[in-house]
Amino acid sequence: MAEVPSHTREAQQPEKPGSGSTVVVISELVKQFGKLRAIDNLNMTINTGETFGLIGPNGSGKTTLIRMLVGLMRPTSGAIRIMGERIPSARIAPHIGYMTQLNALYLDLTAKENMQFFCNIYGLRGKQQKERIDEMLERVDLANRTNDVAGTFSGGMKQRLSLACALVHHPSLALLDEPTVGVDPELRRSFWDYFAQLNSEGITIIVSTHHLDEAARCTRLGLMRSGALLAHDTPQELLRQSGKDNMEDAFLHFASQQKKN
Amino acid sequence: MSLARILALANRIMRQVLRDKRTLALIFIVPLLMMTLLYLVLTNTSSVHTLAIVRPSGTGSDTIDTLITNLLPGKDKLNTIYINADQVDDKLKNGDADAAVIFPPNFAQQVFSDQNPAVQIKLEGSDPGVASAMRDLTESFTHQLGLALATLKAQQTQGKGGPAPITLSTLAGPLPFTINEPQYLHGGPQYTFNDSIAPVFIGVFSFFFIFILTSVAFLRERSQGTIERVMVSPLTRPELVLGYICGFTLFALVQSLIILLFVVFALQVHYSGNLALVFLVTALLTIGSVNLGIFLSTFAQNEFQIVQFIPLVLGVQVFLSGIFWPIAQLPGALRPISYILPLTYANDALRGVMLKSAGIGQISGQLVALLIFALAMIMLSSLTMRRQIA
Repeated sequence: MAEVPSHTREAQQPEKPGSGSTVVVISELVKQFGKLRAIDNLNMTINTGETFGLIGPNGSGKTTLIRMLVGLMRPTSGAIRIMGERIPSARIAPHIGYMTQLNALYLDLTAKENMQFFCNIYGLRGKQQKERIDEMLERVDLANRTNDVAGTFSGGMKQRLSLACALVHHPSLALLDEPTVGVDPELRRSFWDYFAQLNSEGITIIVSTHHLDEAARCTRLGLMRSGALLAHDTPQELLRQSGKDNMEDAFLHFASQQKKN
Repeated sequence: MSLARILALANRIMRQVLRDKRTLALIFIVPLLMMTLLYLVLTNTSSVHTLAIVRPSGTGSDTIDTLITNLLPGKDKLNTIYINADQVDDKLKNGDADAAVIFPPNFAQQVFSDQNPAVQIKLEGSDPGVASAMRDLTESFTHQLGLALATLKAQQTQGKGGPAPITLSTLAGPLPFTINEPQYLHGGPQYTFNDSIAPVFIGVFSFFFIFILTSVAFLRERSQGTIERVMVSPLTRPELVLGYICGFTLFALVQSLIILLFVVFALQVHYSGNLALVFLVTALLTIGSVNLGIFLSTFAQNEFQIVQFIPLVLGVQVFLSGIFWPIAQLPGALRPISYILPLTYANDALRGVMLKSAGIGQISGQLVALLIFALAMIMLSSLTMRRQIA
């Protein structure tokens, strides 16, 4: 049977069993910065309760795509729908959690104060707030540093606090831009264990990374290069389609296919 | 110790400075601008004051009038206007005159018939420097007039014709009229230059520090990346601006209170007005200052670049907002600039409240101006925040 590169298939991918409805639908998305076409006619869907990995080298457009998904950047053309709402939409904001590459934290506030601020602007108050903050700090292993000023934290600790802040308000869609950069292997594994747990609770995660070993832990993957989507399927499918036995080779296979077209 | 290493470091520093155009402008161009401004203000600021005179009426007044005209300094040193007795307070209040000398009706008659009339000097008083100068001027003028009239009287009693002999007793004797203790519309003889500066400090410090605080805080939001988190959250942009305003206004008000208490009790500055109005002016000024801080911080990548804005934001206002040199006396070319500066109106309002016991009615114009400034700054800051989304 002749192989057909994934990006020429239709936008609507076959449903993974038990994944429910789609959360994000991206159609014909284009982002142009002057001469540079940062996102080139992207079509993609993301299903509820999955961890969708955006894999690709630096400059492939992963961050640009995520920024457009959270509404920080407007598309040149094309449409994004999250939970049925056309983006940008103010109604979506309470349901989205966002973690940037820069650890966006208030370094002059303590871990707890940082989280209190985000709880307050997301409307989580009182006893619920207190319990949630304790729970999240426990989960990212910062419970013993609750009242320490964030500026004194190490890089990894800041990363953990940043993740906690992104998820504290029970978002149903979390967009995490390279959450594991500069994070040690033990912590990386615990992050991915946490993502799997969130998925089982019905929370959808879109995560970008250029660690191909993390790709195997994603429900589905989007391989990106130069603003275009090379392939868009489960890790197993991608390995099968490319006839390779590891993600790195599979990625290079799809990349070379793109160059041919 | 290695000269080569020292020079390597010096060389690197020089390269960094040369690449930073704004720092170069700060070092070379800003001092020239500041000096030019200071030069223009100092050399061209006129200080011709206005004296209002209520002329004596009744028979014999012509002689006195001529004397008055001759004794007063010329137009280039003093501006003189002639008014009626019932206009005195109005002219002083609206600034048309800095002082008044009031001769009673039938003054001439009373002088020549030994009835010893009283001449009243009235000073506006809210600018102690001007008040003191005008007091000296009017007292010396009336004194000279007294001497001249005493001589005339002596001539009269001796019989007409010929110049009157000026005897020691004429000059050293009592004046043919009394000069009453000068009245002050505002302030008083005990008021000094410090008293007119103190209200201004409240406005200047609150404006300046809140501006710096806001622009640095907002810059940090951007450089720490937290502004993105905030923009992705349900917090709307108007809420962001209001949050910043509320956060800083409390500190601005407490600061005003502390400065006021210090100025009144520790520095013993004289003060007559309504504290609530002082707070109102400070609060309006703070709103403008916060938004100016947000707006200008978008043009800065780091705290040093914010520091570079200080000569522009504070320096110009120190010269042109009427702190040391009254606006009306500034050179004409610079005056339009004064009218767009928020501190011009804040200083005016604060001095009005603290030195002239102004009520909200009298400072309503300045309050409206501060409100307009605040709204203009809110517009600018919301425009820049919109640009955060590419």
